[in-house]
Amino acid sequence: MKYRFIRVKEFDAFMNMALDEVILERVIQEKALPTIRFFTWKPSSVSIGNFQGAEQEVNVDVCRKEGISIVRRITGGGSVYHDNKGEITYSVIAPEEFFSKDIVKSYEEICTWIIRGLEKLGVKAVFKPINDVHVQGRKISGSAQTRRKGVLLQHGTILYDADNERIALLLKGRTDKYNEKLTRSVKKRITCVKEHCNATKEELISALEESFSKGKEIVISDYEEEELREAQTLASEKYSKNEWNYKR
Amino acid sequence: MILEHKKKIEGGKFARIRIVVSDDSLESVRITGDFFLYPEGALEKIEGSLKGSRIPFNEDEAEKRILGVLKEEDAELVGITPKDLAEMIGECLK
Repeated sequence: MKYRFIRVKEFDAFMNMALDEVILERVIQEKALPTIRFFTWKPSSVSIGNFQGAEQEVNVDVCRKEGISIVRRITGGGSVYHDNKGEITYSVIAPEEFFSKDIVKSYEEICTWIIRGLEKLGVKAVFKPINDVHVQGRKISGSAQTRRKGVLLQHGTILYDADNERIALLLKGRTDKYNEKLTRSVKKRITCVKEHCNATKEELISALEESFSKGKEIVISDYEEEELREAQTLASEKYSKNEWNYKR
Repeated sequence: MILEHKKKIEGGKFARIRIVVSDDSLESVRITGDFFLYPEGALEKIEGSLKGSRIPFNEDEAEKRILGVLKEEDAELVGITPKDLAEMIGECLK
């Protein structure tokens, strides 16, 4: 299995989601190799699942006040706070036949790369169906997947340093009211790498790069000029638009 | 009249259904949540297939309509089932 591997780079929310869709289309058209990319979000952002109600999930006014972008993903799943410093996001875009046909199994296959990466740092993590990775019963990573014309896109986040209070403030969860109880509830459900080892974020990234590459023929590469241009267009015409982000 | 029901499916995902009801039918159905579905456009088609459902609401009939859309679209729904969705609409109307 030959993959193009793009090392961690920082983009805004709209560009990050546009790049995933552009690369997905390019892999479908065989213009790009199957791709693994790591990225971070600047400014810090909230992404919501394709089928979620934006206002139902996110404290939109607080995000606006704090300069936090909100973007709707093409994948389903839940809302995620992508802190600029506190997390790392990955995408895997490859033909479906690289993975199990069974959805949950295919989640597990890619989540196992995350688990192996965390293992390198001495953190014992387990796959929690349908789409999460847990450490000591708390979520450290969540992923979302879609499939289009025979190609699978799975992207997900690995928490390095979680700001529980901020997560509780920005995301509504299943209640509309923010309070200290909600912060405690986030703390009960969510954990991060920093709580379990002394690794730096750079060490986490190296461990993940290694575990995601294992057993594959890897071409380390950067974004093509053309895909960056296509992504910029898609970011401005779709992902930054209210018609898309607030469609539900 | 607008009615709503939300539910976390045991071992699955969370969904929220909002329906607009006239005297004898569903005028519109809106499904939101953190489930997975692809192709993604199938959700609008599922909502469209439920629009106009008669009241009293027949959950079996609604489940069949959702299954029909999934088959037609060659779509996969993960984290919630057509039966769950049909039952949730039933709950809205209770």
